[in-house]
Amino acid sequence: MRKPLGEFPSPFASGNLISRARVPAPQMPTHVETLGNGLKVILRPIPDTKALSTWVVYRIGSRNEVPGMTGSTHWVEHMLFKGGGKLAKGDIDKLISRLGGKMNAFTDTDYTMYFETIPATALDTALMIESERMRNAAFDPKEVEAERTVVISEREGAENQPDFAVEEELWGLAFHVHPYHWTAIGYKQDLATLARDPLYRHYLRFYAPNNASLILVGGFDVAVAMQHIREAFGRLQPEAPPDPLRLAEPEQRGERRSDLERPGPADLLSVGWHIPGAAHEDTPALVLLSTVLGGWRGFVPFAAGDWRPRSNRLYRALVEAKLATDVGVRLESKLDPSLLIANATLAPGASLDRVEAVLDREIEKLKRAPPPKSELARAHQQVRAWARYEQDGVTFQGMLLSAGEGLGAWDFAEALLAKVEKVRPEQVRAAARRYLVEEHRTVVRFHAQEVPG
Amino acid sequence: MNLPDRTVLENGAILVSVALPSNPFIAFRGTVPAGVAAEGSEFGLAEFTSRLLLSGTRRMGAAKLADRLEGIGATLEFRNGDEVLSFQGRCTRETAAETVRILVDCLSEPAFPSKEVERIRAELQNDLRIEADDTHHRAVREVSRLVFPKDHPYGREPKGDPSRVQRVRRGDIVSFHEAHVGPEGLILAVTGDVDRALIDEGIATPLSRLRGDGGAEAIPPPRPHRPGSVRIPMPHKSQVDIVIGAPGVPRRHEDYYALNLANLLFGRIGLYGRLGRNLRDEQGLAYYAFSNLDARTAGGMWTISAGVNPSNLGKAIESIRAEMDRLRTEPFSLEEVRDGKENQTGSLVVSLERNAEVAGELHRMEYHGLGMDFLERYADIVGELTEERIRNLARRYFLPSASSIAVAGPIGRLRVPW
Repeated sequence: MRKPLGEFPSPFASGNLISRARVPAPQMPTHVETLGNGLKVILRPIPDTKALSTWVVYRIGSRNEVPGMTGSTHWVEHMLFKGGGKLAKGDIDKLISRLGGKMNAFTDTDYTMYFETIPATALDTALMIESERMRNAAFDPKEVEAERTVVISEREGAENQPDFAVEEELWGLAFHVHPYHWTAIGYKQDLATLARDPLYRHYLRFYAPNNASLILVGGFDVAVAMQHIREAFGRLQPEAPPDPLRLAEPEQRGERRSDLERPGPADLLSVGWHIPGAAHEDTPALVLLSTVLGGWRGFVPFAAGDWRPRSNRLYRALVEAKLATDVGVRLESKLDPSLLIANATLAPGASLDRVEAVLDREIEKLKRAPPPKSELARAHQQVRAWARYEQDGVTFQGMLLSAGEGLGAWDFAEALLAKVEKVRPEQVRAAARRYLVEEHRTVVRFHAQEVPG
Repeated sequence: MNLPDRTVLENGAILVSVALPSNPFIAFRGTVPAGVAAEGSEFGLAEFTSRLLLSGTRRMGAAKLADRLEGIGATLEFRNGDEVLSFQGRCTRETAAETVRILVDCLSEPAFPSKEVERIRAELQNDLRIEADDTHHRAVREVSRLVFPKDHPYGREPKGDPSRVQRVRRGDIVSFHEAHVGPEGLILAVTGDVDRALIDEGIATPLSRLRGDGGAEAIPPPRPHRPGSVRIPMPHKSQVDIVIGAPGVPRRHEDYYALNLANLLFGRIGLYGRLGRNLRDEQGLAYYAFSNLDARTAGGMWTISAGVNPSNLGKAIESIRAEMDRLRTEPFSLEEVRDGKENQTGSLVVSLERNAEVAGELHRMEYHGLGMDFLERYADIVGELTEERIRNLARRYFLPSASSIAVAGPIGRLRVPW
């Protein structure tokens, strides 16, 4: 991420005016077209909206990296704010700032996405930035070197949090072969030694119109927007399509465990079970399984903010029982088989053994009996409500479409929601029996040691 | 957009709303004057109370309350702040009345079950430990304590301290709630899929049933700041957090808008303004280096935050000082000021694209008495700011000699050149 999320412009500090962004009803008209050079264009016009959010998602993430080059995709993302082509260093900041816009970028394991949200009248500015970014980034050696310490600093900031160590350990242990083994930020050793040329080659290889989708949400006319998009992107040359990733994680045979003993304020427990890729037919049941177990905070969790679900089994069994002060369940739906993760921050005096035993008990209950209809209805209602809430505004709508496109289809969330509606209690139990099994799980326990000093 | 609607209910509560009928859900944000400032010397009481408001009412236990809210897909959270107890959430048109009824129940008739009091006590103790292990949190707290000395509500830890958390009794919480949570001083801002009928029947009617005492007492102005320097060694961390702070101005102060623009140029615009350009873009010292202007009712604070590798601590601090000094030797240029003004007026369209943001802004307009036409006037307010005033205020308020500093992280014997 180029800028920490907390540093988005604050309306209080910067001024304001209300822009009416409609939350789309399901199947809201969306125009999809592919240019001759392979760039897929997805347009969702929202009449009477004064803002416009432009997103470009590239099908390149840390899953496309190799050992020794971990973190390169994220580093490339940082470099794409430093100009090139028509843009001098600092121009992107200046252009967007003058418009009062906001922008950022996110590197995921499966995709990388960039956005600008600006007044709708400035469409051409966003298109020019994204078009230059796609093929003409400068990668000035001096700038690459200056960014090395920035990226390392981003990692070191994360290292200050104990849960980062737990997360890195969990993925590292659960995946031995597949690149989900490492997180998108990469290893510090690689960040210290990566050179400019391999980074630049990584960029040239994957940043091409035929490996990207452009998404617009907000106030524009489709025909006019398409004309401007063709002018901005039509001349860009495609690359040979990237080779499909051939690495597949072998089936895990036997539980894997790790006990970390480090200074920290509280014991932590993290358990990850292997689940299939996002497109699998069991994903809708896994959505409800994860909601029953730990609540639902939307497909793309940014919209949820600090909201904490309380009507779920782990909250009841661990937080209300004073064994944990916080619990969470994340369905990490990805292109390739991934993890469903349950986390707990232990309450003072609670033991990791006890919390793990209670978690096991709750999992067993899910396997033994399907959730009662009333509980499943509540889970359905949560997923349904969040489908509206997380589309609050053009930026979140663009993010949702882009993340879906990164997983293979811009309407991924809408289509999944429709399938979730049809999930019956027995399917939730079946998913629990199939996936929440001991020999396919990885357990990381953080034993907080006394903090020195 | 039509001007927001403002209604004072019979019980004293104020309801502000604006319809965005094409948004098929509702966001709300509200406050009552029951934050840290209301707790007097009973440190931590406001935080304890706020965390118990979803722990059950006379009609419903905590579990049933959660089931009811999540069963209709609504969200509701309470948060303690320096000045107010705030609440916010989302619901749909169909569930608005039910959500507001639950909100009113939580505010007016919380049960404060003893079991829940003990659970929250353990949660607070854990949170205090977690925050004590967070480098940025530690540095911010120390600077706040220095800028707002003598246990001023803006300067102290809202949760109190571990011994205080241990001593709070259920009776203290009940008394605090009775004295401070009621319709007097309550503001509720609602936006999204609302119309007059829904506001009247679904929101105003249940809200007008809220009874109780309350009302805001004036928050005393902070005592003078004596700049200081604090080192917080945390050898098990990777990164050092630097926080530098100085007094700012209250939100209604005449210097606010010019100072806000100066802060934007110094450490916010684009990739964190002048500060970010120097520390991040040119020197690669930090992933984040930014400034923040926090303006409240009785005072304010200006801060700089940066996270750096310990080997770069001295260089980073010297660079921050150099940027502050540069405000005197190389004041903001006409181009910088123009960019800042364009940013602030341009963001009129962009920064309030979401229901939740609109609800927050409506609430601020009412809370600070800015007027319901504030958004209409904002561009003129910014347009009238002169370059000279912006430069002068930056020089006056952003002074190294008038600022405190705290550094937290693996600092060992490193010198803090401030």
